[in-house]
Formats: sequence, structure tokens, C-alpha cells
Amino acid sequence: MTLADDSLRTALPVAVPEPVAPPPVDTAAPRRRRARLSENRWGYAYVAPFFLVFGAFSLFPFVFTLWISLHETRLSDIGGGTFVGLDNYAALLGNAYFWNALRNTVTIGVLATVPQLCLALGLAHLLHYKLRGRTFFRVVMLMPYATSIAAATLVFATLFGRDYGLINTGLEAVGLDRIDWESGSLTSQVAIAVIVTWRWTGYNALIYLAAMQSIPDELYEAAEMDGASRWRQFLHVTIPSLRPTILFTVVVSTIGAVQLFGEPLLFAGNGSTTGGARNQYQTLGLLMYQQGWSNFNIGQAATTAWAMFLIILLVVGLAALAGRLRARRTGGTP
Amino acid sequence: MFDHRRGRAAASAAVALALLTAGCGGGSAADGGSADDPITLTMGLYGTFGYEEAGLYEEYMELHPEIRIEQSVVAQSGAYYQALQTRLAAGSGMADVQGIEIGFVADVTANHADAFVDFAAQDNADELEGTFYDWKWDQASTTDGRVIGLGTDAGPQAMCYRQDLFEAAGLPTDPAAVSALWPTWDDYLATGQQYTDSATRQEGSSFVDSPNSVFAPAVRQGDVAYDDEDGNPVVEDSDGVETAWDLASQAADDGLTASLAQFGDDWNAAFSNGAFATIACPSWMLGYITSQMGDEGAGLWNIATLPGQAEAGSTWGGSWLGVPSSGEHVEEATALVEWLTAPEQQVKMFTDGGFFPSSSTAAESPEVADTVSEYFSDAPIGQVFGDAADSVRRTPIGPYDTQIQDAFSAALTTVADGDRTPDEAYTDALNAIEQVVGG
Amino acid sequence: MTATLAPPSAPVTPAPRKARRRTKTGKAGPVTYSLLALFALVSVFPLYWTVVAGSHTNAEIAATPPPFLPNATLFENIDAALEQAPLGLAILNSVIVSGAITVGTVLFCTLAGFAFAKLRFRGNGLLLSLVVGTMMVPTQLAVIPLFMMIAELQWVDQLQAVVLPTLVSAFGVFFMRQYLVSALPDELLEAGRVDGASTHRIFFSIVLPVARPAMAVLAMLTFLTAWNEFFWPIIALTAANPTVQVAIANLGSGYVPQRAVIMAGTLLGTLPVLVVFGVLGKQIVGGIMAGAVKG
Repeated sequence: MTLADDSLRTALPVAVPEPVAPPPVDTAAPRRRRARLSENRWGYAYVAPFFLVFGAFSLFPFVFTLWISLHETRLSDIGGGTFVGLDNYAALLGNAYFWNALRNTVTIGVLATVPQLCLALGLAHLLHYKLRGRTFFRVVMLMPYATSIAAATLVFATLFGRDYGLINTGLEAVGLDRIDWESGSLTSQVAIAVIVTWRWTGYNALIYLAAMQSIPDELYEAAEMDGASRWRQFLHVTIPSLRPTILFTVVVSTIGAVQLFGEPLLFAGNGSTTGGARNQYQTLGLLMYQQGWSNFNIGQAATTAWAMFLIILLVVGLAALAGRLRARRTGGTP
Repeated sequence: MFDHRRGRAAASAAVALALLTAGCGGGSAADGGSADDPITLTMGLYGTFGYEEAGLYEEYMELHPEIRIEQSVVAQSGAYYQALQTRLAAGSGMADVQGIEIGFVADVTANHADAFVDFAAQDNADELEGTFYDWKWDQASTTDGRVIGLGTDAGPQAMCYRQDLFEAAGLPTDPAAVSALWPTWDDYLATGQQYTDSATRQEGSSFVDSPNSVFAPAVRQGDVAYDDEDGNPVVEDSDGVETAWDLASQAADDGLTASLAQFGDDWNAAFSNGAFATIACPSWMLGYITSQMGDEGAGLWNIATLPGQAEAGSTWGGSWLGVPSSGEHVEEATALVEWLTAPEQQVKMFTDGGFFPSSSTAAESPEVADTVSEYFSDAPIGQVFGDAADSVRRTPIGPYDTQIQDAFSAALTTVADGDRTPDEAYTDALNAIEQVVGG
Repeated sequence: MTATLAPPSAPVTPAPRKARRRTKTGKAGPVTYSLLALFALVSVFPLYWTVVAGSHTNAEIAATPPPFLPNATLFENIDAALEQAPLGLAILNSVIVSGAITVGTVLFCTLAGFAFAKLRFRGNGLLLSLVVGTMMVPTQLAVIPLFMMIAELQWVDQLQAVVLPTLVSAFGVFFMRQYLVSALPDELLEAGRVDGASTHRIFFSIVLPVARPAMAVLAMLTFLTAWNEFFWPIIALTAANPTVQVAIANLGSGYVPQRAVIMAGTLLGTLPVLVVFGVLGKQIVGGIMAGAVKG
């Protein structure tokens, strides 16, 4: 079950696979048939453990959440609850907090993903050079990824503290005003985006780096011979070659951004689930948690969770569509 | 072959680990009842109850060698209650004794009363009831008279102030004089304005830490706070809310507060930095101040009466100990709870740990009533808090009080920060409350 | 990919299966080094700050300017953290949980990944799409009914509540499949078949050795993710039987929080992971890149 918030983001930059095409039929028919039969059985047997656990702990809860979202249920009485049909969904659409959380999720998502991936690209470019201590740099870049969300958010919340945080101290030292990071809308979202960026930039950079290293030198040589500067080489050789990788990281990062939960929860520092006094940094994930575990309204929480899933489906669907359209237009693989 | 074995080894390792984790889990009480085979009673608590520190467990175990006591503590009461609800839903996994806090006692009495032992049905129920403040006993009672817990501590409120900061601003420092400055909340705000306007006050200090120091005490000094007698929220019709909101939002709007979020990082640090001169202090706040300021703070603080106390005192916080009826050792657990909350032990908790008793008997005893705090400039804390506890008014409580209070507190923060006007913030709060209650 | 003009006479080398790292001819200049050093600093600073904050009291850290060096008080605070929360137990639990999840995940995902990659059976494509689809499901979606199931099974506060649901990972299956599709030559499998080996035998003696590097990477990533897992353990476990993240979260929102103790506890919780990471870092980094290229 993909319980870890991170597991999506750890997916490698490989394109969604087409089903494996079966090989041409062999003329040794009888042995092939026997072999295929036994392969069939083994195929199922080998995926069975996965699907058993998956079915019990992923699929079933997934479907059951839909069921719960059609009821009005309390946390301490989950099995019982009155059936209300689609009322919860109607209520959700009319709920200002939902739209607020959606807006916040989008903003934080953009703030976190765009700079992060650009930084990662630049970082990969730097790491691509002949370097001394290459492995050291690469390992250090991954340290943030190894740090737990709780630890990272705690530290950053302290750094962004209004009265005694290090960042404000620094701002004052260079003559700027202190900022109340936590209470502002944009500022709190920027702060959270910073935490997310800090965590994932190094990881994405290494992914880009690997992909960069499979670009044949000949392409660069050819470009250089055509008189292209370093920067133009970057634009016209590196980036196009990385397109599938970039697309993949964008999709994965977006999925992670829609689910963002840990950082907003811990940023407040006092266990509050409102995402700030005016819900300024409450994301959809945090809203769901507040509804279910603070207000004890599980029916509502299940509805929000399903809304999140549909949003992700929409986003990925659009991305896939865009990829298909582009492929059709350029007449090749995207 | 090497890899064949490795594959097998991996598989058996996985199975072994699964079995191992099946074995690991919460401790279960042994069946026993003698010194050689003691029964273990588990206590599920949150925050700091202080029993271990005061040595009460040791004492009880000496008195009863057939009992062992183990406690497990969750830092935050919100998280604790979420876990407790889980277990109530499952009907299993609870400790022998569970702490119940003011924040969710109403939810327990409304929805889970049957899961707990009824103290009103005990043989010595009348005797028990007599030792507690009536409002404390009532808060743990259901509408049909079940009593699901015995009170531990209470949080009667006074107003703590910094003598040195008052002096710098030209205000009196003697507790009696200070208490005379603010018999009502309006007087308190006027004093606050005086402090803020003072030319000689310490740079960067505000009169009060947060609008919540005004709102939280004041809201319970009226007839109704957040709920009616049946525990249903009646926020818009409540006289307590109206008064408290007007006062607190004025304080916030007029810039009398340091606009800190209570219990946050900045608020913690603010104690040592002298960022505010007064703070509403329930009895347990004294321990908080002491630990935040350390030795530097000794002799800087003093304690005055809470504004409006002539009409009604106010209390903040306080807990009960309940016994889940599904436990394996209900009788022993009940006995333990009765002992821990008995007047004698409550006296000890006050003199040792500063937890003000919820037992009126204990509060009236000389050991408590005559207690004086050296740290707080020899303030007669036993008396101050005793008077406050005596004048606490019974206002009905409800299951969503914590969320409602949080909504108001968040709204007040936006006023103090200058982001919203009081009227806008009030609407925000009502919207948030509707989301909690109505959804 | 849109390539710029390639002179027709230039030999175009097909990308080899195991691509040797091709570095650009440029050598890193001082600008590059300083930028990288800056990144390294930023990456490590929050961890360093944890150490510093763990060595000073609330009042000291709140001073302007704050201290920048740690001191020996750190160890006192670590002791205090160990007292306040059962961090020793939490670390042990986390090791057990993460270990079980890692072993189980790698095992199941290698089995399933191999099946999807090389075994032909009906519904292969469909099931694979289902697996990939679940990667999009938000964590939170499953929590509520999962929680009900756990309560029914009376597993609340038990470690298996945290292990079993996480035992399989869609990403893991996907990863192993991608790796095996290109790393495991069909000829090798055919040869094994011709020799009369059963699929079972083939798996253990041919597939596993080939899959080993990917399994190592998957193991490392799974362990890390399981160790940092936060949302579900907080709901299923309590302070009585916590994993590290649960224990740290309880430190972080206490009645009278002492920032230093919280930081010290956080440090303690992160340390095992950082140690393992430091030791196996090179492998992981190598693994990530090899996997990426193969895809």
C-alpha cells in the first residue's frame, strides 16, 4: 500500500509502461503451450502476495472510504452513521474552507514545485562537470531527503519564528523589516514551500543528473561545432533530451503537492490543525485531518479525501492528454 | 545454491519478523493479586499529572504490595484524546485508568459514559461527592447522574503580573493595590491603556500577552459560556461570549497585547524577554512561568485577583481520572483512583507540585490555605486560588468547547495582528464554529 | 528528443545498456564549486541547527544573536529526551517496523515485478495499470477504513498495524519491473527453461542475482521511507508503543515544551538513518542513477 507520503515521489523517471508485448509464436507448439500454461500459473502466483496485501489494505479501504463519505459518521462510532447520500459532497462544494484549502494547495504546490525543479536542473548541471569530491556532494545533497518530515519542519518553524527566528534576525541585520512568516498568507506558504523544496531538490537533481549523463557527447560536440554557446547548448541539447524525465518529475511532484500534509500540520508548532489563524496554509490533506480527527466528523473527512483523489486523477489525466496531443503533433514519442 | 538459500532465508526472516511484531505490543496486566504475583495497573495520561514526580505511585505501591503501577504519557491532550477515541471505538486497548481533561470531558459524558465506571453508584458516593467542589463534580456528570471520573486538579484563575514592569510604568506593585486597580474587566483594560501610554514603561513590553488572557477567563463569568444545559452550542446567544468578545477584541484592537499565540514558540521565549506585564494565570501557570524563566524570574512576579471575580471566579483546565469498565482490574483501579484523588493526596500534589486541588476539603485545609510562594514574591497562593475556586460559577460545558475556544482565539489573533477588524473576526469565528459543529 | 544538427558523417553511438558516465568536457570552475558548496551548506544547515538548538536552553536560543556552536549540554538534553519519551523503545520499534516492511516489500515487489516483467499471463497489462493507478491514491484516503479494520482486529497500538498495510508498495513493484525488463535478458531465462528448470528455480538462481542491485536500492529507499513514515503511525500507535516519528511528535507539543530537549530527541531519532545513509550513501546514489538510466 502506498501509505508513505513520499513513495510517489521516490518513483523513478520512467514513463508509464505499455503492457509487455508477447513475443512471436514459436513453432515448437506443444512445449510452448505447456510452458505457457505453467507460466500463467506462476505469473498469478507471483503477483498474488502483492495483490492480497494490496487488496486488503489498499483496495478495500479505498472503496470503503467512498462508502463512509455517503454517511454522517463520528470518529468514535465509525461503523454506525446515518446515510446521507451525496449530501456530504454537496456540502463540500459549498464549503468555503474546502475552496480555501484547494487554493492554498495549488499555491503551495506551484511555489514548491517550480523553483524546486528549476533548482534541481541547475544543480544537476553543476554536478555534471568534472568534479573533485563528486560523491561527497551527491551524498550531501540527499541528506535532506533522509531527514524526517517532523524534524525538518520543526527546525524550519524555529528558523521562521517571528520574534526570535534566525531568518528574521538575518533580515534585520541587513536592514530589512522582520516578517511575521506564520501569520501571513503568502509568507507562510512560501515558508512551507521552502521546507518542501529543501527536502526534494537534491533528490530530483540526482535524477536529472543521471538522465543527463546518458546524453551522448556527440550532440554537444555537434552543437559546439555549430557555434552554440554553453547556455544555448543547455537550452537546445540538455533540456530537450531531458523532457521525458522532466515531465515525469513534474507529475510526481504534483501528486505529492496535492497530498501535502505533514509540513502544514507541524508548522504551527502547537498541534493546531487549522493551518494558521485564518487557515492561510491549510492544505487539502490538513483539512481532511482536521475534519476527521479534530472535529471528529469522519464522513466529511472521507469526502474531502475522495475529492483529493479526483483532483489528482484530473491532473494526471490532463498531463497524459497533453503528452498524447504533443506526440500526435510532433509525430513521435513525447 | 547460495541464492536459493538466500531467498529462503529472506522469506523466513519476513515471517519471523511478522510473528515478532505480533508478539510486541502494549503490556497486558498479569493476573495476580499478591506481593509475589502483583497486578499491574496501567495509567494512560497526558501532559503532566505529576503523580510520579510527587512519589504517589511509590507510596501506593508500598501500601498495597500486590499492586504495581505503570504510567504512559502522551505529551499533548488533543493527540491523547484522538487515541482514546480510537480505543473507545474498538472497545479495547485502554489503560486501567484514563485521564480525562476539561477539553473533552463533555464529549465523554455525552457519548461514552457507559464505557466508564460510574462513581455515583459506588457505596461511598455521597462521601466522595462531598469532598469535591460542586462544579467539579457536575462537570463529570451525565444528564442522568452518572459520574464518570473523580477530579484531580483544578485551574482557578488569578492575574499574574510583573512587579518590576509595573514599577517601571509607574503603576503600584503591591498585590492588594493592584487587585484594587481592576475590580472589573473594564478597569483592567483602562489600566492596560495606562500602561501602554506610560512614557516610562519598559521598551517593547505590552500590557498582556494575548487577547486570550482576557477572553478565556471572562467567557465563563457569565450565565452561559458556549453551551446550554444540554451541552448544545449556543454561541451567538451567550452573554459570556458577548462580554468576553467585546473585552478581548478591544484589548487586541487597542494594541494592549503582545499578540502572541499562547503555548507557541514565541510565547515561550517571551517570558524571559519581558514582552508582557500581565497574564491570566490559572494555578498551573505558576509552574509554567517558573520553568520558562528559571532562577532569573524569582521575585519578579506577583499575583493579583482576577478582574470580575466578585461576580464569578473562573477556572481553566483541570482533569479527572476515569476507570474504563472494560478493564481487567476495575475494582483495584477504582480504589487507586479514589486514593489518588482523596483530599490528603490532593494536598500533597499542591504542596509538592503546585497542582491546585479540585477537592474543596483539601483546599480548605491549612496546609493548602496557608501556602505561600517564595518565587512569586511570597504571594499567598493557597488563599488566592482558594478564593477563586470558591467563587467559580457553574456554567454548562459541551463536547465542542475546545474547538469553539480555538476558533475565537484564532479570530482574536487576527485582530491583534491587525489583519481583521473585530467584526470581521467575529464572523470568521462563527463560520469556523459552524464548520465544527454543524458539519 | 529534438537533437540539434548532427553532421551525417559523425558516428552516432547507440546508447549502451550500461551507460558509462559521460561527463561534459568542461572542468568545474570556482563558480561551480562555490555554488555547490552553498547548496551543501543549505542542505546540511538545518541538521546542524538541530544540534545547536539541542545544546541550549529556551532562553539562550531566543537571544539575539543566537549561539551558533553546540556544546556538551547536548548530552544532558538527550538524556532528558530519553526520559520524557520512550525514545529507546521507539528506535527499537522503528527498526523492527522498518526492517519488516523492507524485507516484506522487497520480497513481494521482486516477485511481482518479475512476474510483470517476464512472465506471460492474462491480465498482465491490466493489473499493472491498476498498480500504477494506485500510486495516485492519496495516503489519507485509506486511513479511515484502515483504522476501522485495525480496531476490529484489535491491533490498535500494536506494531503489525503499522507493518502490514505498508508491506507492499506500488512504487516497488513498478521499480523492480522496470529494472528487470531491461536488466534481465530473455535469453538467460530461455536458457534456464531449456535446461528444464522450473520457474521457481529460475527465480531463485537467475533472477535474484541479477535483481540484487535494484533490490538493494529498493531496500534502502523503503527503509528510509518507512522510518520517516508519520501520518499512519500517529493514528495507529500511541506513546505506549511508538515508532520514532510518533515519539518525536509527542515531544514536540508538550505541556511545558523545552525546545532543546525536543531538538535533542529529534536528533536521536534521525541519527540511525543518517548513519546508515552515510555508510551506504555511495550505493544509493549509484543505485538511483543506474536505475534512472536503465529506465
